[in-house]
Amino acid sequence: MRIDKPAQLTKLRKELVAVEKKHTKKIMICCGPGCLANGAAKIVEEFRKVLKKKHIRGFKIEALKETGCHGFCERGPLVIIEPRGTFYTKVKPKDVEEIINESIRKDETVERLLYDDPSNGHKIERYNDIPFYSHQQRIALRNLGHIDQYKIEDYIVADGYNALVKALTKMKPDEIIAEVTTSGLRGRGGAGFSTGRKWATCAKAEDTPHYVICNGDEGDPGAFMDRSIMEGDPHSVLEGMIIAAYAVGAHEGYIYVREEYPLAIENLKLAIHQATEYGFLGENILGSGFSLTLNVSRGGGAFVCGESSALMKSVAGEVGEPRAKYVRSVLKGFHDKPTVLNNVETYANIPVIIDKGGEWFAGIGTPGSSGTKAFSLVGKVRNTGLIEVPMGTKLREIIYDIGGGILDNRPFKAVQTGGPSGGCLPEEKLDLPVDFDTLTEAYSMMGSGGMIVMDDHTCVVDLAKYFLAFLVEESCGKCVPCREGLFQLHAMVKKISEGQGIEEDIEKMEKLSDVIIKSSLCGLGKSGPNPFLSTVRYFRDEYLAHIRDKKCPAKVCRELIRFDIIADKCDGCTACLSACAFDAITGKKNEVHVIDQDKCTKCGACEAVCTRNAIEVS
Amino acid sequence: MKSRLVVTPNRCIGCRTCELACSFNHAIDGKPGRSRIFVMGGGFKDLWVPVTCLQCDDAACVKSCLVGALRRNEETGAIELNQDKCVKCMACTAACPFGCSIYDSGQDQVVKCDLCGGDPACARFCPTKALEYKPIAQVKPAQVKVKAVG
Amino acid sequence: MVHLTINGQVVQANDGEMLLDVIKRMGIDIPAICQHDAVEPFGSCRLCTVEITKADWDGWKNYVTSCLYPVADGLIVNTHSETVNEIRKTLLDLYLARHPNSLFVRKLAAEHGVTKTSYEEIPDGDDCILCGLCTRICERMGFSAISTVGRGHSKEVAPPLKEAPPDCVGCLACAQCCPTGHIKFSEEGASRSIWGKQFEKIACSKCGKLTITKEFADSLSETRNIPREYFDVCDDCRRKEIALTMGRLAQWSREEETV
Repeated sequence: MRIDKPAQLTKLRKELVAVEKKHTKKIMICCGPGCLANGAAKIVEEFRKVLKKKHIRGFKIEALKETGCHGFCERGPLVIIEPRGTFYTKVKPKDVEEIINESIRKDETVERLLYDDPSNGHKIERYNDIPFYSHQQRIALRNLGHIDQYKIEDYIVADGYNALVKALTKMKPDEIIAEVTTSGLRGRGGAGFSTGRKWATCAKAEDTPHYVICNGDEGDPGAFMDRSIMEGDPHSVLEGMIIAAYAVGAHEGYIYVREEYPLAIENLKLAIHQATEYGFLGENILGSGFSLTLNVSRGGGAFVCGESSALMKSVAGEVGEPRAKYVRSVLKGFHDKPTVLNNVETYANIPVIIDKGGEWFAGIGTPGSSGTKAFSLVGKVRNTGLIEVPMGTKLREIIYDIGGGILDNRPFKAVQTGGPSGGCLPEEKLDLPVDFDTLTEAYSMMGSGGMIVMDDHTCVVDLAKYFLAFLVEESCGKCVPCREGLFQLHAMVKKISEGQGIEEDIEKMEKLSDVIIKSSLCGLGKSGPNPFLSTVRYFRDEYLAHIRDKKCPAKVCRELIRFDIIADKCDGCTACLSACAFDAITGKKNEVHVIDQDKCTKCGACEAVCTRNAIEVS
Repeated sequence: MKSRLVVTPNRCIGCRTCELACSFNHAIDGKPGRSRIFVMGGGFKDLWVPVTCLQCDDAACVKSCLVGALRRNEETGAIELNQDKCVKCMACTAACPFGCSIYDSGQDQVVKCDLCGGDPACARFCPTKALEYKPIAQVKPAQVKVKAVG
Repeated sequence: MVHLTINGQVVQANDGEMLLDVIKRMGIDIPAICQHDAVEPFGSCRLCTVEITKADWDGWKNYVTSCLYPVADGLIVNTHSETVNEIRKTLLDLYLARHPNSLFVRKLAAEHGVTKTSYEEIPDGDDCILCGLCTRICERMGFSAISTVGRGHSKEVAPPLKEAPPDCVGCLACAQCCPTGHIKFSEEGASRSIWGKQFEKIACSKCGKLTITKEFADSLSETRNIPREYFDVCDDCRRKEIALTMGRLAQWSREEETV
């Protein structure tokens, strides 16, 4: 059915809402990346099987929904019974029948599957009452977990494409841009450039045609915000892009999705097909005379392709290498034409801004960074998952209130924000309000929203080594400071981690970092030394311990630690002996075991299996 | 284009002053460069022909240059070779039907007549006016249009 | 027309020109080894980095590659500030670590006071400095027979699949423009070999002098609409031919006059 007039959409929505209302209960199965990895597909299958077998009065199979990422990945696979909001965690296929019996047939709950608060052991039934959710405010992730990711009708029920109608029928392009400018929305990809200003520049550019591109090349390790949106709520991205295209006068657009996200590619293609059928895309959208085609472009599997100029080259089928942007891509971008490039999350915010107004959005967050920001909270934190909080939320709130604190109650050491080229912030920065400017001032950055929490078992030298190795690997190799400079920087950090460093190295590395920052071609190189710079800034002593004392205080760097068995504690259970893959442990049953230091690779397998804490790392 | 280099073989006495003048005018580091004009035998007794670039209208050398290093100077009419752009692929030396784009191994570069920027030394020093740099108006129509035909 | 200040001197420049063009025109010597006029500026060697500022930038300075930075009115450029010199030295130091055996790199580094690298030397580092001139020139000529493959530190220049490149015509432009002489080719009689592909050169039908490869001539003839037979005779014999043709005309007009 093609929609040519706004009134038709209103009518359609009414009909769809009426259908939805008939479902007295709905089963929402989270099919986000985390839950899928933990077997959500099997649970969907099981639900379908059981529901087919047992006919339940009043329950239609349409009320079973495969949703996008609900957020609380750590407790997945998740099943939510709406409208009560009953929140089942770590669901297994064998639990399905019980859930149907208790929650669908009856109005009971399956107690054992409910969330239990780790602080007091109390069960909490509804997700809205769980601290992980109650501290969040969701705008970009508004529909995730609440609509079926494959159905445009669900998106329409959730007021989808309302903003598009408003934009196309009641607003002029410059009014849309003014609204976005008023909202204070800044690019969610990391750089934080004003979206309104970017659109205004593109709209004014005389050269034609204009293009809109969506950056879905999320490449930071541990980050999956954009992935979740593209998979779970693709229409919010499309709607944002259509509005953007209308505002800047573009008739062609591309969504660049990294190769590793096949489901996102699939769902976006499906969404484009659906939106075209309804007339939200294609010729003469909603009878407004405005036309737009959107295409999905598969990434080439390189981290650097997330850099805007490299991305545009990659979309055009060229080698994804950045070019110098002394002439900005908004004026000379895709095919050297004016191009608006925004990130997935940025576009997902647009419909809400148009719907509720720029003023409303500007009222959320901080004056310099309005709105909310999605993060993927991972690492040594109790509640890992996908979250969204107002800008200005303190790191402490994110890590302790939402994240539930550090795993195993270990001490907090640092939090890495902004992906590989971001920075590490130590405990004294925990009360920092998270927004673009404060993070930059603290020598880290917002980045696209990766947040990795670390405990005292993390060695910062090792961490810097890991991220530098990632960047060396992902450098496109075009310019010398990034290609050779990061390579040398990594080599020096590695030397330090092996106890081969000298004190002068630190100064030399700081100088090299300065040159890399000043002379690299693109953002990847310019932020490349950050893993070293931010760790050495806040944890210089730890570097010095590696250099002067040849010690790794976190007991991570293999060359600087040794494993020993404490004779008093060892009961000769042979667990460590069988765990050691290198035959470095000897000893008879019920006798004290010994580690052969020459054979030991310091993998830590023995420590992990020892139940008597008899393995000492020093 | 205001003037054209006109060659009148019958006036040439084979003195090769033009070659010297050309070579010296294109000296590099004080050393005379290779001449871009050649005094050749005309096939008859006492007949010499100074052969140099005719600055063809539809020039094969320009067409053959894939990097755009050969361009006509609209002021002088000369097809000039931009050495900074030249990639030494030798296409022009092979394409010129008059053999007037030449590789100078001594300087490791391709050279051709550039009409000395509008005051060709060969014509200036020619004692017999076998070479003349004449305003277009004074050139016979037959000598104005030159097409690169082999 | 814009006015800018370079090393304290006010100069005029054309709109759209790059800083490096103006700097070179002034006779100021700064290295720019990935730059060649046949291709668009690329910005990979970073050696032409200069310091820029403007009167109203509140003392803020930026470091940009002059090959890619368009001139602008009121721009204040320093080609050899302390920081710029430091950047250039560090970059050459990095080059030297990667290419310790390259005479070109050693000479250039020495000119900037770097005779020994302070970084970890890669003893078997080859001479390819990944300036991309060869691949860009090949692309500019319309062949795109070679390209850079891989990324990061293991990036290299190679034909597709590292096999004899089907689109190569053996013009040697890549080798001619390689600043370090890394691209090797061999010539034996009429045959030429480069990138693992064999070519045969055209022998002049009159004197036998060897000119360009057959593949190159075929390509030029086809894409550039140049008669193929132009390439059958060498430049020496062409000059002889034209001299004889003109000689006949001259002789004819001589006879006309005497009649």
